[in-house]
Amino acid sequence: MKRPLTKALLIGLVLPLAILPAQAQRRAEPSGPANPFAGNSQAITQGELIYNQNCTSCHGPNGGAGEIGPEIIHNLSVPLRGELNDNQILDVIRNGASGTVMPAWKGKLTDDDILKIGAFLHSLRGTAIDNPLPGNVAHGEEIFWGKGQCGSCHMLGGRGALRGPDLTNVAAEYKSNLIVDALTKPNHRVYGDGGVHLRALPAMDTYDAVHVTLNSGRTVDGVLLNQDSYSLQVMGDDNELHLLDRSQVKAIANKPALMPTDYDKRLTKDEFADLMAFLTRQGRKAPVASAPRNADQE
Amino acid sequence: MRRFSSGEGAAVLRAFLLATTVTLCGSAASAQDSYPAQPGKDWPIYGGSYNNQRYSSLKEITPANARQLQGKWMYHVEGLQGLESVPVVVNGVMYVSGYNRIDALDARTGNVIWRFRRQPATAAYQRGAAVAHNRVYVTTNDGHVLALDARTGAQIWESKGGPKVSFSGTPPMVANGKILVSGNRFGTAGDGGGFIQAYDEQTGDYRWTWRALPENGDPALESWGGHTPGGGPIWIGGAYDPELKLVYYGTGQPNPQWSGKGRPGDNLYSDCIVALDIDTGKLKWYFQNTPHDTHDYDSTEIIVLADMTFKGKPRKVALQANRNGYYYILDRTNGEFLQATPFVSRVDWGTVDPKTGKGLADPAHEPTVKGTITCPSTAGATNWPSPAYNPATGLFYVTATEGCGVNTLASSAPDSETSYLESPRDKESWQLYTRAIDAKTGAIKWDYKQVRSNHYGPGLLTTEGGIVFSPEQFGQVSVLDAKTGRSLWHYNTGDLITASPLTYSEDGHQYLAIASGTNILTFGLPERVTAAEKKP
Repeated sequence: MKRPLTKALLIGLVLPLAILPAQAQRRAEPSGPANPFAGNSQAITQGELIYNQNCTSCHGPNGGAGEIGPEIIHNLSVPLRGELNDNQILDVIRNGASGTVMPAWKGKLTDDDILKIGAFLHSLRGTAIDNPLPGNVAHGEEIFWGKGQCGSCHMLGGRGALRGPDLTNVAAEYKSNLIVDALTKPNHRVYGDGGVHLRALPAMDTYDAVHVTLNSGRTVDGVLLNQDSYSLQVMGDDNELHLLDRSQVKAIANKPALMPTDYDKRLTKDEFADLMAFLTRQGRKAPVASAPRNADQE
Repeated sequence: MRRFSSGEGAAVLRAFLLATTVTLCGSAASAQDSYPAQPGKDWPIYGGSYNNQRYSSLKEITPANARQLQGKWMYHVEGLQGLESVPVVVNGVMYVSGYNRIDALDARTGNVIWRFRRQPATAAYQRGAAVAHNRVYVTTNDGHVLALDARTGAQIWESKGGPKVSFSGTPPMVANGKILVSGNRFGTAGDGGGFIQAYDEQTGDYRWTWRALPENGDPALESWGGHTPGGGPIWIGGAYDPELKLVYYGTGQPNPQWSGKGRPGDNLYSDCIVALDIDTGKLKWYFQNTPHDTHDYDSTEIIVLADMTFKGKPRKVALQANRNGYYYILDRTNGEFLQATPFVSRVDWGTVDPKTGKGLADPAHEPTVKGTITCPSTAGATNWPSPAYNPATGLFYVTATEGCGVNTLASSAPDSETSYLESPRDKESWQLYTRAIDAKTGAIKWDYKQVRSNHYGPGLLTTEGGIVFSPEQFGQVSVLDAKTGRSLWHYNTGDLITASPLTYSEDGHQYLAIASGTNILTFGLPERVTAAEKKP
């Protein structure tokens, strides 16, 4: 019975915008004290249990959208992070979302249980920067630009190269374990999950190295940023963006992957830990409360 | 809050009275089956016509002129997560549906004529509405069918009576004076299984229910080894043969989905194509594609009805490209199995007996705690995207998914549940194709690769003009030559597509339409340039 109408589970490096019904989005933005259970692993585990008992039938496992309710988290892509902050989510859980089937849970669950659900959802929404890995950050930066040679492909803070993804915001986009995996696991690909519903058209995130031969005989070497049935977008090794028409392309050959995946071996244990300490601090943390609206915009 | 001025209030009252009057004076629903055998000017139901061929009689757009196609209009549908619905067009009006809601648009311009909303509001996916006899029928997410006046959106009735159920969002079927709807959970508690329910078209009164899980007294109950049946969800619309007075639906998987230990036997009527009497809801025949399924190979793929000469004998057939990777041909008068052929390159969950059509599962591909790679994946060799059949080319067009998946059980308990993933082996990664199959032999005639699209994807349509309209999951829409699959024109809609397309004509001009993301987009040929305009 697996299909998006009934289940949608999380996947993917580019994950969808959390959509709550319009009424919920327009609700007032309550300020409030920080959740006392935030970051408390025992409370988060309890929150997951309470969530699974009460919420999955509508919102799906891990908040990834269900038969009735929308996706309420996505854990990786900060620019698209859920539109409600932690306090707004608690408000929706307590008081419901008027005009939708989302009920008020105040009175049905204790407020501690609601706060634990909130802590669980926060943990799902969190990324590396919410809980950076320990280590010598300054030494990690030296490794990044030196022995690790990361800057030969990646840009960070406006310095570096263009073939790999920009890492300026990496800790705010990904969880720590995904960053570690990217540096240590070959074939680091996130596999499709049966029930997932993408919510936007993502670019390719695989950075496949390619050698493209055009009908004219000209060749282009670089990284495939995206393609469709009619076009290709290649970041060339010549640091130029090549926008190609598929009808002009004679052949596309894949080259060996550019990204080394043995950093845990080519670096010492301490060097690797320090590099991770550096990487898991790169980015801008999402605000606890929504940014105030600029009056000039309306 | 915006308030009506007195003038506006009077206008609203006038509009209300007018709507009421027109409803009373308008033609009442009749028991006739007014859909043409083939869609042309109108596209009145999900599949275009009762037979789900999606073969339009429109000929304005051809392989010769398709390169001139251009965008005509666009309409954003607010408040939904996405659109899996197929809009319907009747008498120049396009109806776009969600649960509890309809937007009625001028099909020439996309301009809104009226909007209907009913509580509870929901952004959930839904697959369409139906129009017949000046009424629009739409389902609600709290188990009702609504009849609206097609001209104004005025509510005529809300269905009443019968067991409390939960609908699956599939479009209602209007046939022989009845409205048929289906769903996943019969009753209010637990796994009551899939069902089809009928209401009276005139009044909304409950008529009958057919349940996919056998009840006491049905010999099919023995196919569950003494265990309580579960599953058989019915989450896609059916087909109807007005001469045989039979409706055809596909049923979903048995529960638990991936573990068969707790349900020894074939598990009827899960993963079946069933034929029911439209008047009584009684089962006329069934054919089970995947007995004792442990891979979630629902048989809910769209069933296409056609009349053809098969191996020298004229036959009324039912065609289905099934999620389990086989393309089936059945005699729809009696359910006789005629043929099954694989339509994807790798099928290893089991085999199909060429004489009986009985599916024989390979035990080596049972899901395990460690994980078992099986082809096709649980997402299937195809899924809900509608196929199309073109009698002129003799080709059956289907959105096919090449690739395999991993099924991993959470534990060895008989009721263990889990999910499924794409195979981690690169050669088995998922890739969508628009695929043309010889409808009689099952041989693959051509493929159009949908670059980057890898999951579910949109459906297809074909026309007497000789084209296939082929949207892609990753947002492209293409017009292909129906004979060769050559791409003639394309357009990037900028959002993900999981709906099936439609075509219709207004003022003599053919439109192609598709829901992409939460937008409806339409395409057509340019207005002809007159001789006067050509003058400098």
